[in-house]
Formats: sequence, C-alpha cells, structure tokens
Amino acid sequence: MSLYSFDKSKEMFLRATRVIPTGISGNKNPAFAIPGAFPYFAERGEGCRYWDVDDNQYIDFLCGFGPVVLGFGYQKVDDAYDAQRRLGSAFNHPTPRTVELAEKLVGLIPCADWAAFGRNGSDVTTYAIQAAREKTQRRKIIVVRGAYHGSHAWCTPGHGGLIEEDKRQILTFSWNDATELEGLVKKHPGDVAAVMLTPHHHPAFGEQVLPAPGFWSDVRRICDEHGVVLICDDIRDGFRLHMKGSGEYFDFVPDMMCFCKAIANGYSVSAIVGVEDLKSAASKVFFTGTYYTAAADLAAAIATLDELIEVDAIDHMMKMGRMLCEGLVKRGEAHGLQVKVTGPPTIPFLSFANERDFRRSQRWSAECARRGVLFHPHHNWFLMYAHKEADIQESLDVADEAFGLVKKEFGS
Amino acid sequence: MDERSYILANLHLRAVLPRLQELVKLDDEARSIARETKLSVRFKVRKGPSEVVEISDGEVRTSSDPKGKADLGLFFASCEQLNNLFMDKRAIPVPYKGLTRLPQMKRFSRLTEIMTRYLRPTEVDLTDPAFKRKHVEMALMAGLAGAAQIAKYDSKVEHAMELLPHGTIQFSVLPDGPYAFVSVDEDKTIFAGNGTVAEPTANLDINGVDVAADLLADRLDQFAALGSGDLRASGLLPLIDEFNALLDRVGKFLA
Repeated sequence: MSLYSFDKSKEMFLRATRVIPTGISGNKNPAFAIPGAFPYFAERGEGCRYWDVDDNQYIDFLCGFGPVVLGFGYQKVDDAYDAQRRLGSAFNHPTPRTVELAEKLVGLIPCADWAAFGRNGSDVTTYAIQAAREKTQRRKIIVVRGAYHGSHAWCTPGHGGLIEEDKRQILTFSWNDATELEGLVKKHPGDVAAVMLTPHHHPAFGEQVLPAPGFWSDVRRICDEHGVVLICDDIRDGFRLHMKGSGEYFDFVPDMMCFCKAIANGYSVSAIVGVEDLKSAASKVFFTGTYYTAAADLAAAIATLDELIEVDAIDHMMKMGRMLCEGLVKRGEAHGLQVKVTGPPTIPFLSFANERDFRRSQRWSAECARRGVLFHPHHNWFLMYAHKEADIQESLDVADEAFGLVKKEFGS
Repeated sequence: MDERSYILANLHLRAVLPRLQELVKLDDEARSIARETKLSVRFKVRKGPSEVVEISDGEVRTSSDPKGKADLGLFFASCEQLNNLFMDKRAIPVPYKGLTRLPQMKRFSRLTEIMTRYLRPTEVDLTDPAFKRKHVEMALMAGLAGAAQIAKYDSKVEHAMELLPHGTIQFSVLPDGPYAFVSVDEDKTIFAGNGTVAEPTANLDINGVDVAADLLADRLDQFAALGSGDLRASGLLPLIDEFNALLDRVGKFLA
C-alpha cells in the first residue's frame, strides 16, 4: 500500500497559524501527537472511520478524544439532533429536553438526585468544585498528581496566563495512595472542600492505572470522616464502563459526578449530577452559559443514552476492546517487543515496557497513522460501538506491520 | 528582600555572567583579551548569591563554590545594586579584596561589554548571520542556565517543577548547531551544558538560526512552529513542556 501524506493538512495548518494562535489549540495541536506524521485537519466521518483533508481514511481509536461513542454519523442520534434543530435550539428559555435529560440521568445514576448541563467538561468540573466549596465553606480541592480535569485556570496543565493564586488551593497526591490522601486532609483540618478523582488514572504521557483494591472505599471513608465532598470526574470513562456511571464499575458512590464526551456522541453536552444534600449548595452557584440549554445537543444526548442502552453498546465495546488489546500484545510479543496495554478494554493505551521516552510509541503510532489506523502515542484511546471485528482485525494487521518497523529500528 | 530581585541576581551571576565562557571562544576581541588576562573576581552580594569568575589561559571558568579563592572581591550591598550593574544603571560595588588588581577590571569590563552586545543585540547586529549564530549560542546557554536558577528560586514555577520529569533534553539548531543540553536529575537539580549528549530523553530540533533567534526572543508561536516543522520535539515531551515553562520565566526576568 502507498503510505499517507499530509500535504493538505500542513497547508491548512499554515493558513491557521496566520489567524489563530498556535494554529490548533490545546490537545488537538499537532505537537501533542506526532507533527508531520499525523493528520491535522479532519473532513468527514462514517462509522468508526474518518477522512482527513488529504482524503486519507482512518480507523479511529481516539474517537474525537472520546465523544464519538456510537460512531460517526449515527442515524438515530443525528435524527434526534436534526429534529430539534428544525424546531429551534437556542431560545430565551430551556426546552423540555433539558428536563428530560436531567430526569434520565437522575433515573440512571445512583448518586444522582439532580443534574445540570454545560457544554464542555471544564464547565462542570469547575461547577462541581464551586458547589463543594459552597456546601463546606472550605477552600482546598485535592486532585491526583498528573490527572486532567479541564482547561480552566484552577486545573489547566498549561502555564500561560496564570497567576499563583489560581492553583494555590489545589493540593495533589499520588493515585492509589490513600494514606497520602488522608495525610493531606489531616494536614489541612477543616479546609478541604472536595476530593476530585477520575474513576481510573489516565494521565497523558503515562500508563493507565486501575484503582487498587480498597482504594476507592478508603477514599470514600476519608471523605466521610472529614466532611469532604467526593467528586468523580467521569468525563473520559463515563458511559464506556457502565451505563450507571463508572462508580458502578469500580464499586463506589461519589457525591457528585461529571460527564461529557460519550454522553452525546459528539454533540456538545456536559453534565453534572449530585446527591440531594448538595442540591441547595449547587443552586447557589451562578452556573450558566450561552449554549448551556442548546436543545438540539441535549436531544442528541437523550438519543445517545437511549441507544447505548438499547444496543448494549458497552458490552460490545468491551468485547472489541479485549480483542484489540489481546491482539496488540500478542502481535507485539511475536516481534519480540515489550508491548504493554493498560486501562479498561474500552479505554486502552499502549506503551512499551522498556522505555519511558515514548520513542517506540511515537514511531509505532506514526507508522500506523500512515497506514490508516489512528492510535495516539501519548493519550489513552477509546473504543466506539461502530468498531466491529473486521475493523479490529484490520487494525491489528496494520499494528503488526508497524511493530515490525519498531523492531527493526530499536531492536527490542 | 523581594523574591524578584533575588532571582534576577542569581540569573545575572549564574546564567548571564558565565556566558563569558562562550564569548572568549566565539569573539576575536574577547579571545584576545582573555589571553592577556589572568584574574579571578568574586561577586559577593549581601543576602544574595556569590560567584567567582576566573580568566586565565584564554579561558573563562565560573564557580559558585563559596570557598573558591579570588584575586579581587567586589561587594554589592543588595541584589538590586548588582542587578543595576547588569542593567546598565549606575552601580558601584565596594572592592573588599585585591585593590591592586582593580586596574585589570577595565579588561573585564570590556569583556562584559562585548558579551552584552551578543546577549542584547540590535536589529542591525542580527542582520549579520555569523553574529546571529553567536548570539543564539550564547542566548540559548543563558536561557538554559537561567532555567536552573528559576527552578531553584521562583515560586511561580512550583506547578511546573512538580510535573517536571527527570531526563536530558538535547537542543539542536539544525543543520549544524549550536547544540546545548540540560539534564534534570531526579531531585530536580538542573544542569545546562554546551554540545551534545549520547542518549537524550527528549530532543528539541530547531530549524535554523533564524527560528532559534525568534524562539529566544519570544517572537515565535511555539505550537505553530511545532506543527509547521520549524521546531521538532520528540521523546519525553512533558520534559520539554515543563522545562519550557522555566525557560519562559527566564525570558520574563531578563527581557
């Protein structure tokens, strides 16, 4: 096969840099992947595949960094969106879709006695810490070192435009270290408002780590003993591990949960749910945005959740994910490479056990991309319902070829 | 004493002044002066850093060793006074040792004048490609060495320091240099050096001296440059990313 080139992507990027700072901002900037060996701009998508502006076709294991959970152009979701769009989306008032989606989440998620909606993950993670601070009248928020909770000033991994005060009340501890967490809470008696954690640890540029046995129950106990609000940032894992939220998958019940990504199959919705005890505090936080009530997107979210349940999408994604993960390890090992796949099967990530600088990962991902399969070298991947067995097999064949090139360059 | 003055004094003594080391290799007049000079000077700042610069055998060496001997001692009453000296403002230190060696300070001052021209070039200076290359070599080293001071003393990089992984970054201005590197130890101590290392943890390749000069002058959209290929990063990217936050702070102080 002829290998892909990215000439139009690069041309478009040059145009972009003339009028947009960085050309492409945030995690979609080429610098986060492999500049020159990855597509920069997408054109269209269908099922589990998308095409870039050079008309290169990819089997997608990044899923738009998570939101595409059923597939590109999924009919039932797009129909729901279109139907509402024809009726109108941005009104002076919310539409019944807001209430319907809130009722759906309250019926679905064990800790949900109420729900509210934003557009992006950061909207609701920030809202969550505000509600926790309002409830507890405390200042500090504890998160895991290296975890990502959004791009707002208190949590951005970036450095520009910040002042020291932005992160002064944010404390960090190591994932799975409940002793360190308890020590932090005790070190700041009466001052910790909330602990915010992802269900499992999925740092960029790192292996994923599942919760150790007893970790989540320890976290719950520590929060209860010290009057700290436990917030689960389920933005990446949500609706890919369990339809009732990832607390059900890992056996814990938080006080608030944040969702985004998979909730609307690519349309722009984020959600927060919480326990009754936090409803009054949440109501005191001024939480709004121009598009927070955009009805077409909310209609898409309702259709997405219904469809995920209807087709038992998580079960299918788990099967496909296991097939992919096992296949990658097997194919890598056949080349004598130390391939390691971490994370749940629907949110996997591949690394090479004998390196920490990602050079093998970067080469391998670049070779896969040139052959039509998109695996990110630095960020966890996602499965979608549209991935079928034939797509996994095709991806494994490409991965195999790329493993061969890694072996040739690095030797092991 | 305010943190800003203290950091700036450390930058001046431990990132800027040591560039005399490169200067005497890169500039003919400086090389000639260094060959004719044998002098060691301690810069001592009250409640601030202390550094010895030694010129001998045509080379310059610097040392932060508080016990290091010097022919001549210059005392600065404050970090601000030292900083004023480096920022072309009136500042006269008190010689506390080796008064007979004071006349040699004329040569030393001439060296620092030449160095300043390379570190703070005019637009006209930069039209000369050979000059620009030397400017890049010295400014790059000033930045990298400065980052080590920022890492030690600047509370504003606390977040970046927490996330900064250990390893070595190779900086290469392509196609033929200059080259420099920084190593970050597990205890976050940073060391900057000229040249190349065998197996860096991360590489930042810079596409030519012009791009490097823009990068060092904070005129470059770095993410745009990474996408266009003017900059090429590989290996452990968080090492570059977090280190860049330190470099950025150096620029804010020395601009």
